[in-house]
Amino acid sequence: MMEGSGAAVTANGLTKYYDSLLAVDHITFEIAHGEIFGFLGPNGAGKTSTIRMLMNLIRPSEGSAAILGMDTVRDSLAVKAQVGIVPEVSNIFPELSTLNNLTFTGALYGMGRRNRMARASELIDLFDLAEHQHRKAVELSMGLRRRLAIAMSIMHRPRIIFLDEPTSGLDVSSARAIRDTVRELNGEGVTFFLTTHNMDEANQLCRRIAVINRGRLIAVDTPERLKQAAAESQVVEAVFDRELEPAEVEELSGLEGCSQLLPEAGKYRMRTSDPARILQGLYPFMHRSGIKPVSINTLGPSLEDVFIRLTEGGKEAAGDG
Amino acid sequence: MDSEVFEAREPALLDGLRKAWAIAGKDMRIYYLQPAVLIFGLVFPIAIFFAFMIGRDVQTASLFPGLIALTLFFSTTTVAPFSVPWERMNRTFERLLFAPVSLPMAVLGKVISAFLFGLAVSLVPLVLGLLFFGSHIQDYGALVLGIILGNLCLANMGMLISTVRADTPPKVMMVLNVVRLPLMFMSGIFLAIPTLPYWGRVIAWFSPVSYATDLLYKGLGFQDYFGIVISVLMLLAFTVVMYVASVLRMRTWNR
Repeated sequence: MMEGSGAAVTANGLTKYYDSLLAVDHITFEIAHGEIFGFLGPNGAGKTSTIRMLMNLIRPSEGSAAILGMDTVRDSLAVKAQVGIVPEVSNIFPELSTLNNLTFTGALYGMGRRNRMARASELIDLFDLAEHQHRKAVELSMGLRRRLAIAMSIMHRPRIIFLDEPTSGLDVSSARAIRDTVRELNGEGVTFFLTTHNMDEANQLCRRIAVINRGRLIAVDTPERLKQAAAESQVVEAVFDRELEPAEVEELSGLEGCSQLLPEAGKYRMRTSDPARILQGLYPFMHRSGIKPVSINTLGPSLEDVFIRLTEGGKEAAGDG
Repeated sequence: MDSEVFEAREPALLDGLRKAWAIAGKDMRIYYLQPAVLIFGLVFPIAIFFAFMIGRDVQTASLFPGLIALTLFFSTTTVAPFSVPWERMNRTFERLLFAPVSLPMAVLGKVISAFLFGLAVSLVPLVLGLLFFGSHIQDYGALVLGIILGNLCLANMGMLISTVRADTPPKVMMVLNVVRLPLMFMSGIFLAIPTLPYWGRVIAWFSPVSYATDLLYKGLGFQDYFGIVISVLMLLAFTVVMYVASVLRMRTWNR
């Protein structure tokens, strides 16, 4: 049992029907111990249903899942004792103070009074909540509530944390503080299952990313490999010393290797699978037109490009089907 | 059952009870002083009672079993129908389900908080009756059983009503009052069950409130109808059925 299985989380053909609606379609994946695993998908793709099945808040229609080698349905309480969860929509008790939210959470996990007071005090310091510890949660800002929610999720020192849109709606510094916390906890060996719409965040934090669309897992890989798969989404971005004439724009768009030209606010973005070919034609073009470059950059595909390519592919396939 | 299994289960049960108590403590802190709970659980029954009883030519002391039964009934059945939909609306009920707390223990925690609220509130008219209005206890056993088992049973009734599919507390409170108001008239609160017409006495068998009321009448020296044994057994039976039904209803929420 436990670590012997080699994976922190295993989903095996996990499927969920709501009446006749197929929300999650036979998804299979594994998350290694100590990994930060990103779970991306558009709204309604099946992310929340997947998390709820992993937490045994809803029963899978088919398939099974294991956390730390324990079946999520059969060993539900033992699984929950090892897992922390931070849902996208805050579910801290608004009428309780910061301190009482933490100690009540500790009581739900079976921590003794002295133990939970000590742990709450430790987390209040760690999350910089000392001056808010006696304020009711309803009076806290969104960023503070998010910090409190994360503090509550680690009250019992879980080995796996499910984070649903952890920085959604937060200002830049609060979001950065939360990402730093995730890195710190991960450094201590905590495994993370992270759902996010923030591609930059997924790129920064996740070792591997799974993309789910219309209930089906359509890719699982490292961010870099996923980006390689979208190689045709590379861009050469040029800024010149003057605006181009319409004829020059047309000539630029016809450069060998340019699949699409996107002029935008004085920048000319040429989409290509081979930036070197564009550059070979770009210098003669500038020479012929008497234009000087201000800057020329080549940009690799972003995770957002990959996400859009994968999920729009799914839409087309579904539409075709 | 071998001893190893028994030893493994005992701490799990104690652990579950500790968590249920933590949930009850949290509910007491949050909900006991909520205006809706105080109005529907305390002010409402007293106002209704006096609206029906003032001007009737009866001994004041004879009103107290009914008053205690009504405050017990309303106070105990108010807490869960307010707190459960409130927590579902705020998604805080989900937090209980994220934790390693079994659904029967989560339900028990809610029942305990309703039970203690009802107990505290129903003791107020009892003490007032004893101190100022000439009530006296004739049968301590019946009175204690009536208060304890009545509260326990009706706390479970409130819990069961709180599991109706409704997304806000007012909608559940509406369902609650649809159930409570008819029960109030068919349970011997305003007229002791022995004094009801035949059809009233038949209907009274189907209301758990009747058995609590009957024990209170007996305890305060008035004529009872069912007898202590039947009342106790019926209250226990209603308690178990409504507790199990609450757990089963909640299990269907997320399936």
